[in-house]
Amino acid sequence: MIARIGRGLVAVFRFVREWSGDAAYETYLARPEPGPRLSREAFYLDSLRRRYRGPSRCC
Amino acid sequence: MTRVLSKLAWLVVALSGAGALGAIALSRGEPVNGLFFVVAAGGTYLVAYRFYSAFIAARVLTLDATRATPAERLDDGRDFVPTNRWVVLGHHFAAIAGPGPLVGPTLAAQFGYLPGTLWLVAGAVLGGCVQDFVILFFSLRRDGRSLGQIARDEVGRRAGLLTMVSVLAIMIILLAVVALVVVNALKHSPWGAFTLAMTIPIALLMGVYMRYLRPGRVLEASAIGLALVLFAVVAGQWVAESPAWAPVFTLSGSALALTVIVYGFAASALPVWLLLAPRDYLSAFIKVAVVLALAGGILLVRPTMHMPPLTRFIDGSGPVFAGALFPFCFITIACGAVSGFHALISSGTTPKLLMRESDARLVGYGSMLMESFVGVMAMVAACALEPGVYFAINSPAGIVGATAQQAAASISAWGFALDPATMDRLAASVGEQTLLNRTGGAPSLAVGMAHIFSGTIGGERLLGIWYHFAIMFEALFILTVLDAGTRVGRFMVQELAGRYVPVIARTGSWASTLVTSAMIVGAWGYFLYQGVLDPLGGINSLWPLFGIANQILASVALVVATTILFKMGRTRHVWITLVPMAWLVTVTLTGASQKLFHEDPRIGFLSQARALEQRIADGGVPEAKLAETRHVIFNNRLDAGVTGFFALLILLLLAEAASEWYRILSGKRTTPITETPYVRSRWAEGSS
Repeated sequence: MIARIGRGLVAVFRFVREWSGDAAYETYLARPEPGPRLSREAFYLDSLRRRYRGPSRCC
Repeated sequence: MTRVLSKLAWLVVALSGAGALGAIALSRGEPVNGLFFVVAAGGTYLVAYRFYSAFIAARVLTLDATRATPAERLDDGRDFVPTNRWVVLGHHFAAIAGPGPLVGPTLAAQFGYLPGTLWLVAGAVLGGCVQDFVILFFSLRRDGRSLGQIARDEVGRRAGLLTMVSVLAIMIILLAVVALVVVNALKHSPWGAFTLAMTIPIALLMGVYMRYLRPGRVLEASAIGLALVLFAVVAGQWVAESPAWAPVFTLSGSALALTVIVYGFAASALPVWLLLAPRDYLSAFIKVAVVLALAGGILLVRPTMHMPPLTRFIDGSGPVFAGALFPFCFITIACGAVSGFHALISSGTTPKLLMRESDARLVGYGSMLMESFVGVMAMVAACALEPGVYFAINSPAGIVGATAQQAAASISAWGFALDPATMDRLAASVGEQTLLNRTGGAPSLAVGMAHIFSGTIGGERLLGIWYHFAIMFEALFILTVLDAGTRVGRFMVQELAGRYVPVIARTGSWASTLVTSAMIVGAWGYFLYQGVLDPLGGINSLWPLFGIANQILASVALVVATTILFKMGRTRHVWITLVPMAWLVTVTLTGASQKLFHEDPRIGFLSQARALEQRIADGGVPEAKLAETRHVIFNNRLDAGVTGFFALLILLLLAEAASEWYRILSGKRTTPITETPYVRSRWAEGSS
């Protein structure tokens, strides 16, 4: 029972990390890509620049 | 056996929803519990999702789970990223759910709880969810292209330009009206103004943390920010009670409007990591938490509705805003039922994240159902208030008077009992000097939410904290919309104006950034300031204008969708978008014509301008008020011009689309459909 609750909490935490963008850099690194990788800071700034170029929040 | 059980379960869901809807609709005099709203809405949503969205997915759009999505084909780890569908649902919901589904139903509660609730539920399942779903699907099949690009490719070049212009115009009105809601909620409220002011340094701190100290650690920064914001809510009470600090944060409407305008300019011009992004993270977490808490609170407290199902104001004489039930209920509640702005999100980031085409049903249709439920909860929170209190908070001084005695006399004369001492007691219990004439919906919603929350935790003792927490929550994510919208508006001006003056198109240029930011902020700032000066409270003129604009954008999206369905050969099923489109066009054009030409000066912009001119000519305006009255006359004519412009936009687009539909149906040559070719998904079963 406790193990199931623990697994559930881990799944919720993983979901929140993915939803909030906290895990975005790990996802980016896990993806095979030729050439040099962006640093965590450069990746973060790049993702913000892309996100706020178009409508991202509605009324 | 399983099939029989499943059918029985769906029968129970359908009967529960229908029974609860019947109880809400047929109640006459006996108190209705808020739980009926939850069951009625929940039952309808479940049935609509299970059957109607499945019909659209299987028979109309024919979603193909074996077809690779743009996220899979164009995966670059940045824009296009295959993402779990529940995470995309969370992203999409956080993006579409703004202040609209909270404020619109609160304002429409002046008609009683019934019309708004029925429109929220029916409008969503038959209109809003369909729009979000089909636009998401069409964007998915076109490499995640935007609504404007799809309109240009599928309807014609003029349609693309019209869509872009309408998006920009709507953005300006939207930003002005949400800023007005914040100003009306925070004026003369040192507690609220302090709390919101504190969110700026908190956001800056979070920005520096995520940029330099711990790059990209969103959860850590948000946890710190959240703790500081909660502390700021509590500290606001000390500020409000301090003889030295309270006057510093007690601001008039005009002063607050100017502050918000300066803030909007700064947020648009500053680097996105410094203010906009951290505020957005904070706002998204608080938004989701509050929506869940509100749902839990309604289930625990089970508030009784005090507002009647229908009020006398369905005739158009309402004090919150003027205009009859038809068309104004359907314009006032845009977000929560049908919101054109969602089409921009459905053709923005979301289609670039979906892993499977079949996920479009859950994300497109499902998240709009969730937003509609937020609207229903806002309706419950507003209608749980005593109607006298609701009208005292939401009516402008020009209608009910500026003192508790005057307001009580006016509102009691309408048949809603109100004791002047009630308003004083209520204001004192939430830590405000007054709650009278707080137009805009946010304060009455905050009072309703505070009652629900304090019924769960803390009781009356914490009413003030809960009220200011709710105000902070509403203001925080309204400012996020303001930040993000101003920035996007700036990019759009740079793109549009850059076609003629190339130097403006340089988004990296500081001069271009400052000039275009000033243009956008100046445009919405003007409408905001006009709303603050409006003797009828501003919401009366600006909210319907925003509703018309938003519903016109929804009509644009549905026109585009209908055209594509014709091109796909789905003529038999084209009614799924054609019927809501026809309804929205009828509603918006009726609303626009009434706002233009109605003879009641509270409804028609032009008749109000004429009435004020006549008053000046008759010498009924004191010398000191002459300049202000002339300004109001000009503003009414400007609003009339904007309304006419919106109506013209949809008429032009309809004409453009109708000629395309005629060409398709008569078998003449038309622009080809622009779907990307089929590529088999590597996640499809049996894929090699």
